[in-house]
Amino acid sequence: MKTQRLYIQSHCTIRNRSIGVNGRTYWQGDPDASLSDFLKAAYRGLAIDYPKFHKMDGLCKAVFIAAELLARESGPYATDTTLVFSNYSSSHLADERHARDIHAGDEAVASPATFVYTLPNIVLGELSIRHRLHSENVFFIFDSFLPEFLVPYTETLFEGSRVAGALGGWTEVTEGRCDVLLYRIGTSGRIPHTIAGLKKLYNEDNE
Amino acid sequence: MRPGVYVVGDHILSPLGKGSAYHFEQLANGKRAMAPTLDPALSDRPVVIARIDDGQWADELADARRYTRLERLFIRTLQELIGRYDIPLHSRTLVVLATTKGNVGLLHRPEAGFPHERANLSVMAGAIQRYLGFEAPFLTVSNACISGSLAISVAQRLLQHSERYDQAVVVGGDELSKFIVSGFEAFQALANEPCRPFDRDRKGLNLGEAIAAAYLSKVPSDGAVRIAGVGSYNDANHISGPSRTGEGLYRSIRHALSAAGDPSLDFISAHGTATAYNDEMEAVAFNRCGLGNIPTHSLKGYFGHTLGASGLLETILGIHSLRNGRLIPSVGFHEQGTTEALNIITDGVSLPLRTFLKTASGFGGCNIASVFQIG
Repeated sequence: MKTQRLYIQSHCTIRNRSIGVNGRTYWQGDPDASLSDFLKAAYRGLAIDYPKFHKMDGLCKAVFIAAELLARESGPYATDTTLVFSNYSSSHLADERHARDIHAGDEAVASPATFVYTLPNIVLGELSIRHRLHSENVFFIFDSFLPEFLVPYTETLFEGSRVAGALGGWTEVTEGRCDVLLYRIGTSGRIPHTIAGLKKLYNEDNE
Repeated sequence: MRPGVYVVGDHILSPLGKGSAYHFEQLANGKRAMAPTLDPALSDRPVVIARIDDGQWADELADARRYTRLERLFIRTLQELIGRYDIPLHSRTLVVLATTKGNVGLLHRPEAGFPHERANLSVMAGAIQRYLGFEAPFLTVSNACISGSLAISVAQRLLQHSERYDQAVVVGGDELSKFIVSGFEAFQALANEPCRPFDRDRKGLNLGEAIAAAYLSKVPSDGAVRIAGVGSYNDANHISGPSRTGEGLYRSIRHALSAAGDPSLDFISAHGTATAYNDEMEAVAFNRCGLGNIPTHSLKGYFGHTLGASGLLETILGIHSLRNGRLIPSVGFHEQGTTEALNIITDGVSLPLRTFLKTASGFGGCNIASVFQIG
């Protein structure tokens, strides 16, 4: 199968209360902060201005920040940038909150503001709104980050020049674990978009 | 030129019964699956829902207690599909599973008797895979209410581009739980009567349960239906409300039709949830595409909104409509109820049918349109 050579143009990781861009530490939070305090501090510290951010759940907040930094790094996203995202825990943070709310005995009450975030692809909608993307979105659930699937799958999206770019994401965000890798894919760049290339990005520590 | 991908087999399990041909006949007889239900496990108030009766199907398997209700429903449906079409379980068969929430009803319910971890979608998919003996791990798609349709498109793409697979099984399903019912109640999206898609007096949606499964192959069999074109675009407008201009759906349809070679359409199987905004958005998008005069139905009036199953369930019934040369009426519709007019199907007339368009839209602003063609 002949496919176009694709490259990773920039990437952002969020792990252990630390944000990295292209392999370098970009912002360091308090290692002991809760997830929500960490994300709020990062939003302020990175001078992001988007009031809707405060309504989002933790998954959307973390991914939103990463996508914002990649726009700073590699410029605005093309409107047809396709989104290929995956994680293990789906929308676990919002699921937990909604389940707790409705099983609270006499106090039980469901909140639409929580319920709407109980779908993993809501983050794709948030990114599409923020970056004005009219494009194809898909959210897969895997046991772990799976470049062996994602690399060939993403290549098929570029066939026949259907799209100019893609944004890939492994977005595992729970109270106990924040493991985010977002990466921009295009037809030019430095790091080849290969299984080995993606594994290296996922496993590397920031300098 | 990429090889064609065909739907060569299908199966449905719903409150109406089992078997897709059987379902097609039930719809022709005007059978509707929803009923007013008062069950404190779902809601403190009566809700009109279409729920699968457990007594009928769920316990017909070995070690039933080791599997959640939803897993048992998936397993039963897939067993029937595998047996009927003699589907190989080896690694050259891809299985794509579509669900919005899987076993989420287990959360904060220790009395259900399953570990918390079982609510993770890949854990559920793994349990089903191992029970049935498929060699390849399932691919799980969770993309709100377009999951079922999107899973068909993902399977098609992998069959066309990857040398790893010869055939694919696509299965979609969700079950009703307090988790889901309370959320839709909080959105005030539920009708207190059987829903009326596209009707002037529509009051909202009904939630429903179904498991739908399709068998996809690169080799057409007798009566096979080709996936002729797919388009999927986000509205980039709102995370829970449909776009007023129907932008994402409009782009999806345009793309799907163009990919299919701009065929003339015999009917449209719309998403048609019977909420005020969804149906209005679809009417706008269809008319922007010049499709306001194409016979159109929503099948939500028969099954309610079956979430992760809906796109696949409604596609399968559209395929049976093509094979039988008979339109399925849009039950619950009486009077034109959208600002822009649609040609809603009210009679199950017989006529030659070759091509239909299936659309779906969901939270997160996602939309998908797929063209299916027979012969």
